Amino acid sequence: MIELISDTGERREMTINMGPQHPSTHGVLRLELVLDGEIIKKVKPHIGYLHRCFEKYAEEVGDYAKVIPYTDRMDYVSAMNQEHGYVLALERMLELELPERVEHIRVIVAEMQRIASHLLGIGAFGLDLGAFSPFLYLFTEREKILDIFEKISGARLLYNYMAVGGLMRDVHPEFKTDVAEFVKTFRPKIKELDDLLSYNRIFIKRTANVGVLPVEVALNYAASGPVLRGSGMKWDLRRNDPYSIYDRFEFDIPVGEGEMGTLGDCWDRYIVRVREMEQSLRIIEQALDSMPDEGDVMQAIPKRIRMKEGEVYVRTESPRGELGYFIASNNSASPHRVKARAPSFVHLCLLPAISKGSLIADMVAIVGSIDIVLGEVDR
Amino acid sequence: MLTVVKQGWSTFKSIFTGMGITIRHFFGPSVTLQYPDEKMELPENSRAKLYVNIDDCIGCFLCARACPVNCIDIETAPATADVDLGKTSTGNPKRFWLTRFDIDMAKCMYCDLCVHPCPTNCIYMVPDYEYSEFDRSNLIYSFSNLVPEQVADVKEKAEAEAEEKKRQREEMQKAKAEAARKKKEMEAKKEEERSEKDGKEKGRAPSKPENDGGE
Ligand code: SF4
Ligand code: SF4
Repeated sequence: MIELISDTGERREMTINMGPQHPSTHGVLRLELVLDGEIIKKVKPHIGYLHRCFEKYAEEVGDYAKVIPYTDRMDYVSAMNQEHGYVLALERMLELELPERVEHIRVIVAEMQRIASHLLGIGAFGLDLGAFSPFLYLFTEREKILDIFEKISGARLLYNYMAVGGLMRDVHPEFKTDVAEFVKTFRPKIKELDDLLSYNRIFIKRTANVGVLPVEVALNYAASGPVLRGSGMKWDLRRNDPYSIYDRFEFDIPVGEGEMGTLGDCWDRYIVRVREMEQSLRIIEQALDSMPDEGDVMQAIPKRIRMKEGEVYVRTESPRGELGYFIASNNSASPHRVKARAPSFVHLCLLPAISKGSLIADMVAIVGSIDIVLGEVDR
Repeated sequence: MLTVVKQGWSTFKSIFTGMGITIRHFFGPSVTLQYPDEKMELPENSRAKLYVNIDDCIGCFLCARACPVNCIDIETAPATADVDLGKTSTGNPKRFWLTRFDIDMAKCMYCDLCVHPCPTNCIYMVPDYEYSEFDRSNLIYSFSNLVPEQVADVKEKAEAEAEEKKRQREEMQKAKAEAARKKKEMEAKKEEERSEKDGKEKGRAPSKPENDGGE
């Protein structure tokens, strides 16, 4: 495979594999790189190492509720958001009315999960580029979120907390104070992160002008979430196609502006995530204020889910982008078809387009900046 | 020239801000625990291990049916008429011996779906997380409190009773069938008699022994 110089002395391309066990591929992803020296000529992502038959399983399992733990395992970094999308789709099909308290708790946990997911994404991104301390400090914060989640749901990572029509359990009595406490302590940490990583000279040098994604390309590939917003497009489903009770809250949609280099480079995608965490904090605060203290979170849960014949597609804004669930039902106990539109998969398709011509060392930055989770890519 | 100085300054600054933050964290409170010596207190409802209070289980199979990975294996035998298994602490009458109640914790994904449907709340998660094993088969937890002899015994009894019941039912069915046959015969006889009488009155033999409803 390795033939650098041919007999006649002319330059030859080299093909190397990055992954599946490469530490910076965020899971098990194999990238087949065709290199000319250090310059990437071609990238081909090979996926499927984490395939678990989610969609087929959903058809076979025999119950709509039994699918929820599996949606957790699609994107294990933001399990709450995955559940939220799935249960919303089912609720829209069943035309269920939800209690206010349930909606508020869901929004709060979904936004906290978004912060946790971004903390991991940013931390791992920095780690890939050699910044080790931010990773540890961010994980300390993430741990606080997971602690709260553990108190409410009993699990740290794969919660199975949302049920169709409600929540599996009520939150603990000190939930509000816990979350408020977290919001208070977390605000200054974003400033610290800015000092430590965002405006660090080395970090900027590594990420600015790297992996530039022009907005037309992003749209052509159907990118969404921070990847699209990093290219300067103001598109957030919480605002553009509000679901749950997001239309009641005030928040800004941060977009990339090309501050440090070209619009749509790795730094822009990164900073969008950082600023989104601030907005999530704003949403959490507003939701905490308006959340009713009393109410049964399980009252609207149907005893048995009887689905009419029909189809539904519901899209939600997961930390990685537009997460859509298409569910077709044919009157039986389990779904006829479940299709998940996973943002990570779409963004992985972008990779060849934005990494052509960059250095192999920058590949790590590009993969980190699109923040994929392989569990969601392979499903 | 100016840009070089500017960039140099910003690099210098980033290094020192970074160092400052790191040093602050270095002298800040520790966030880790020295695990085997210190342990974190898990919240009481955390999902770490399944436990079944077998005295309260009524053998309804709801938990096994709710499990997405089929890791709960239950086998029951109906209690015979001569024993009374009593009631659960929630007041539900117990009608089954639980001859097997195995949970394979190696397969379990701690999803909590089996906990909610239980009518007597006897299957639940406990915050006990230190149970790793060298052999995977050790992770199959048996909650049934019957020893194998008892299991064989109750199964035999239950079978015998089932046989007995079946026999009784068959007998009853036979008796019923007999009675029905006799009744039918009687009716047929009466019918005949009546139609004969009818025929005599009208002066002709009826084509069918049937009663014409319209008259
Ligand atoms: S927790 Fe989930 S996987 Fe484990 S036994 Fe219960 S239903 Fe099955
Ligand atoms: S649901 Fe509860 S009562 Fe029924 S079999 Fe399971 S543990 Fe026993």
